[in-house]
Amino acid sequence: MATYEPVLLARIGKPGSASLEGYRADGGYATAERAVKDLKPEQVTAQVKDSGLRGRGGAGFPTGLKWTFLPKDHPGPVYLCINADESEPCTYNNRILMEKDPHQVLEGILLACFAVKSKKAFFYIRYEYGDAYRALRNAVDELYAAGLLGKNIFGTDFELDVVLHRGAGAYICGEETGLIESLEGKRAWPRIKPPFPAVVGAFRKPTLVNNVETLACVTQIVKMGNDWFKSLGVPPDPKNPRDAGSYGPKLYTLAGHVNEPKCVELPMGVTLRDLVEVHGGGVWKGRKAKAVNPGGLSMGYVDVLAPLKGEDGKTEYDIPLDFNGPGKVGCLGLGTAAVTVVDDATSMVDVLHNTCQFFAHESCGQCTPCREGTGWMLKITDRLRRGQGKREDLDILVEVADRIGIMPGTTICGLADGAGWPVKTAIRKFRGEFEAAIRDGSRSRYAKSLAMAGH
Amino acid sequence: MPTVYVNDRPVEVGTGKLNCIQAAEKAGVFVPSYCWHEALTVVASCRMCLVEVGERKPDGTVVMQPKVVPGCQTPVRDGTVVVTGEYAKRSGADAPLAYPADYTKVAEPGDRAKRAQADTLEGLLINHPLDCPVCDKAGECKLQDYSYKYGRSESRMVDEKNQPPNKPGLSSKITLFTDRCIMCTRCVRFTREITGTGELAVMGRGHHEEIDTFPGRPLENKLAGNVVDLCPVGALGSKDFLYKQRVWYLKESAGVCSRCATGCSVQVDTNKDIVYRLRSRENPEAQGHFICDEGRYGYHFVNSGERFVRPMAKADGRFKPATWGQLTPVLKKEVTDAVTVNAKGFAAVLSPFLTVEEAFLFATFFKGLSKDVRLVLGPVPVVGADDTYPKDVRGNPVEPVKFTIRAEKCPNRKGVEAVLRHFQGAVVPFADVAGDGLAAMWFAGGYPDKDQLEAALPGGWTAPPLLVAQDLFANVVTASAKYVLPATAAFEKEGTFVNHAFLAQPFARAVKPPVEVRPELQLAFDLLGRRGLVQAAAVRAEAAKAVPLLAPLGLDVPGNGVRLAVKA
Amino acid sequence: MGALTDDIREKIKGLIPLYPRKQAVTLPALHLVHDEMRTVSNEAVAEIADLLDLHPSEVADTMTFYAFFKGEGEKLGKTRLWVCRGLACMLRGAYELIEHCEGKLGVHCGQTTPDGAVTLEFAECIGACDGAPACLKEDVHVMNVTPERADELIAELKLKS
Repeated sequence: MATYEPVLLARIGKPGSASLEGYRADGGYATAERAVKDLKPEQVTAQVKDSGLRGRGGAGFPTGLKWTFLPKDHPGPVYLCINADESEPCTYNNRILMEKDPHQVLEGILLACFAVKSKKAFFYIRYEYGDAYRALRNAVDELYAAGLLGKNIFGTDFELDVVLHRGAGAYICGEETGLIESLEGKRAWPRIKPPFPAVVGAFRKPTLVNNVETLACVTQIVKMGNDWFKSLGVPPDPKNPRDAGSYGPKLYTLAGHVNEPKCVELPMGVTLRDLVEVHGGGVWKGRKAKAVNPGGLSMGYVDVLAPLKGEDGKTEYDIPLDFNGPGKVGCLGLGTAAVTVVDDATSMVDVLHNTCQFFAHESCGQCTPCREGTGWMLKITDRLRRGQGKREDLDILVEVADRIGIMPGTTICGLADGAGWPVKTAIRKFRGEFEAAIRDGSRSRYAKSLAMAGH
Repeated sequence: MPTVYVNDRPVEVGTGKLNCIQAAEKAGVFVPSYCWHEALTVVASCRMCLVEVGERKPDGTVVMQPKVVPGCQTPVRDGTVVVTGEYAKRSGADAPLAYPADYTKVAEPGDRAKRAQADTLEGLLINHPLDCPVCDKAGECKLQDYSYKYGRSESRMVDEKNQPPNKPGLSSKITLFTDRCIMCTRCVRFTREITGTGELAVMGRGHHEEIDTFPGRPLENKLAGNVVDLCPVGALGSKDFLYKQRVWYLKESAGVCSRCATGCSVQVDTNKDIVYRLRSRENPEAQGHFICDEGRYGYHFVNSGERFVRPMAKADGRFKPATWGQLTPVLKKEVTDAVTVNAKGFAAVLSPFLTVEEAFLFATFFKGLSKDVRLVLGPVPVVGADDTYPKDVRGNPVEPVKFTIRAEKCPNRKGVEAVLRHFQGAVVPFADVAGDGLAAMWFAGGYPDKDQLEAALPGGWTAPPLLVAQDLFANVVTASAKYVLPATAAFEKEGTFVNHAFLAQPFARAVKPPVEVRPELQLAFDLLGRRGLVQAAAVRAEAAKAVPLLAPLGLDVPGNGVRLAVKA
Repeated sequence: MGALTDDIREKIKGLIPLYPRKQAVTLPALHLVHDEMRTVSNEAVAEIADLLDLHPSEVADTMTFYAFFKGEGEKLGKTRLWVCRGLACMLRGAYELIEHCEGKLGVHCGQTTPDGAVTLEFAECIGACDGAPACLKEDVHVMNVTPERADELIAELKLKS
């Protein structure tokens, strides 16, 4: 495989990578200046749309298309919300961008706001990212001082204010309407849709919500062009007319039982196996991978040894990490492309309990199926790990996991889908292990000391 | 006309905005729900009203959405197809729609919704204590009803349930059985959207969240009692009613609240002639969906031991009980004599608590004695100013007004005035005759609150030599009377009240009056020497014929009442 | 009125113009108070509500949702130390680390050491998976926390108090 030269991460590790001076020395803000001075907003939108960029936050919705959903010629205000509530377990790519290269993101914000005629951007950043917050705070202050935020940016009539807004530890704030509710000062209960935020968003105004990495991609797309962007990744599947392709570079994060847990930038479509074994240096302690979570906890589990249907000799480990790959093996999707490796010495009962613990803790509590379902799944898996599982538990878990979520139509947002997917994929793919645990009444080594923490 | 298909049945939905629940109702199909309430914002969170929807194209083909949707949040338009969990129980009288094969292949129409609703109920019962035997709501609980009708027969939940502590301090009048709550948030939305007082909130997150108040700010607003009615389960309990009655023993009657000029439609819950509870009876013509606490808890006077329960005559400065048999001829003679001696010095006071029918017959009787008898409108109790809701955070009223508690604390001033105008062309207020040195007065009161009456009496009022006073409680008027007659409460009679906006609402009798209390209409019959059955409806028809303003009451009056045409 | 210092009140008021609605200042205001006072008392909630034209229950509704703020009767120690229990950290020893820290500090998660030096918490994924098992010291990531590193960290925090 030819070595890929990172673009989004190109400046990471350079001294002063977070400063305006350093960013400008690398040609920073020239792209935004050129766009604001020479292009019409519609041209920027059109370019992003034509680039094929899909949102990096998890759902993979085409970014440019989302921009076009904002009402035309709205009297304003129109808001941009930057979703930096990166809370999907095992995901940290946005943190690295914000901490080390905040201006790349901020330039994307300038471009996006110019394109959608927004004068105000709310940067919603999770509280746990203190260093990222301070890096951004500093970067925003630098921009105001340099006249790149505020009024008459680049000597034009383009104006923009960026407000940094810190969260307070709630996963659901990453759901775009949960984020908006939280920004408005309320509990982050996702809104019913329609209306979508593009029509009625923050403060009842048209609002665009974009992820941090997405905005960094916008910077690079406008800077380097669509030919570059489309030269990377995977084109649309010709057999699937609804596939928008998986173009561009992607920040993959590696976590769990991998030798080198780190964030790597690669063209979309690297296989899970290559990512872990080559880029991540393989599984730790000389062990083998058993299960992999391919894109954040919500996406479900890959059985490393399970043969890949119709692909001789390949296993689920060989799926490409593009927008379509994980779906082919029953996972929810690419998600945040955060890859977590579980080695063969680890109990899937513990892994699943940990997973259920997370979603029960983070379910916002609004919709009955999710509130009660995530709580119930936690109680069952907690009993499993205490060696008190019942035969029927596994069927109940799969049933509950199957029925909660936006896909069956039983909840307002997708948290419940994400809570259900790891449960059903883990049990369907590793059923033998769960059955054996129930049969033997085996007790997790963690069950002794850790009281179930529901809160 | 836009047509919607509910379980195959075409139903015209008109031009109003309807959701699937409302459209289904038009087709006679009930869709259960918890969080949805017509008067509150839609949150679509309980997920009980899940239905299947699609569209029937003009060519007859049907496209169905693959997943269930909440009926409350899904608007219908021309061609919308709604399939509910009850599809299998449809009458079959309507031709089945052409559901697409790929839709029916996965599941029969209605099965998705039915399954999803059963799943929702299983979820709601996960942490529910299932303490129906000791729960006051049992018998009228939507969780119980829907579980029985749409749920599973047994629980698969074997783990320990969450057991949040109860909150008896939520309000002086309301308690919260926290573990029974299903988090529909109707109560929270009520205090935010209807009263604006915002006492209630959701605290916490996920399966540990609870309804609560902020410490030191209990749920104490004048409409607070409505949250108990809004609560679909046994979580919010009215301390006034708690553990008094099993609801299946209660008899419901349609009443009209008599405590202010709004004239809210109420449902009066009684057992063995005792009133136990008042609830709002939805009436968009009158008050809407809610009632105030003054009215809700304002029924206790009817059960009070302080009431007059038999007629009395004063002898040697003391009241002595009398029987109606003895007293009626005496009253008739005393009154006739007084009018004969000095008709102009005789005032017949008709209180704004009388029904239209009572006022009409009393007026007929007294004006029949002499046209010079003065008919007088009884004192009109007024307390403060009209109190409108919602309020803003500082307590200032906010438009649009969603509920008004009126300063005028009587139910039928407009009705009595209509009668008075008919008989003597003008309404004579009580204050106008107070200082006239009257010779005799008949005071038909019925004031449930003695203090309100006394505050409404003109200062320095003195009783005429002959005073016949009919009332519920001892007050300065009855104290000066020669004869005291017990009055009936609105719950104890049928009749008609006309509210502040000229909405005339007939109501039914909820309980019998105490044995020796003779209803005013009966008394008027006796005074007039009428025979036969005393029926408010017949008197109402008579009044409607005689009084042009009351003419609409001569026809069949709809349950929500009828608005009288008032000349601007 | 007295729970909030004039300085905090001014800071809260200063945030109001940044947002189209006052309610949006709820979280920033709670952070300001919480950072400074290490708790948000009921009185403070009521005063924030008053500044933002809200009912206290609305502020409490928001505040309790996040499970981040210490309310009436709870107070953070000098340093809040979160141990991540997210999957990535769990796989690399987070549960053992939590147990270790609990033993070392003599408190359970959610509690503060008697000397007021450290409040120990567990956290759902803090996004420091490249340094699992990881901790959050206030809002700063501490990566690759071995038991030895935890001991050093705790000693340092104890010294600071």
